[in-house]
Amino acid sequence: MSGTARPWLLTSPGRWVALYFLSVVIIAALKLTGAIESPVGFILLAAATCLLLPLARRRPDGCTSRAMADYNRRIVFSNLGYVLGLGIAVTLWNRYELSDALVFAIALLPTLPTFGVIWAMGRYLAEEQDEYLRHRTIMAALVALGLVLALGIFWGFLEMFELVPHVWAWWVLPVWAIGLGLAQLWQKVRGA
Amino acid sequence: MKNRLKVLRAERDWSQQDLATRLEVSRQSVNAIETGRYDPSLPLAFRIADVFGLTIEEIFLRTE
Repeated sequence: MSGTARPWLLTSPGRWVALYFLSVVIIAALKLTGAIESPVGFILLAAATCLLLPLARRRPDGCTSRAMADYNRRIVFSNLGYVLGLGIAVTLWNRYELSDALVFAIALLPTLPTFGVIWAMGRYLAEEQDEYLRHRTIMAALVALGLVLALGIFWGFLEMFELVPHVWAWWVLPVWAIGLGLAQLWQKVRGA
Repeated sequence: MKNRLKVLRAERDWSQQDLATRLEVSRQSVNAIETGRYDPSLPLAFRIADVFGLTIEEIFLRTE
């Protein structure tokens, strides 16, 4: 029996993803403590996103299927587009008095790449030939959806009763992504 | 659902990866099916049966 699979963190994609999240946490900490300003933060975030570029190769080590490699590549490019779009949109918003039409247009800059993330997930589920991997991803996505719904509803009522501050609705995607990651981590811990 | 995948593999001296390659699925899939954590679809069950040259009933066992 071949039971010699290396831990996920030691495989190539796992290492780059872990480094990326570590970088994001450090950049967020620097930004929250006021050590860096917005433009520097976005530049560092864009640079950190480049850590995910090895995942964009056609068939990186440790990838379980061709569809997963394609999914990784689409997610990396969507992520790059998101960071660039967000940086440009925030910079324009802060520096110029924009008309409503232009504000609508710059709001699309970070929005469209996030639609790319949703499209990438849809394509993955359509292209994955391995039914067990597809089943695992669907279960993780359902857990993530449950987390978004539960947190969203709970936060909504807390906000309605003025216990917590308002949270922008675009947070649903990061929360969903966190839920997806946690669910997949749980699946790995369980050996599923 | 119980199955005899592990025994059948051992008889042929195949690793999980060997079987996965023959079935054109991931090693994780073979592991999940073998340990009973995932029941394969009917098309995959037929492919497994074909690889071993057996019928589905000879590989997968009913659990009452």
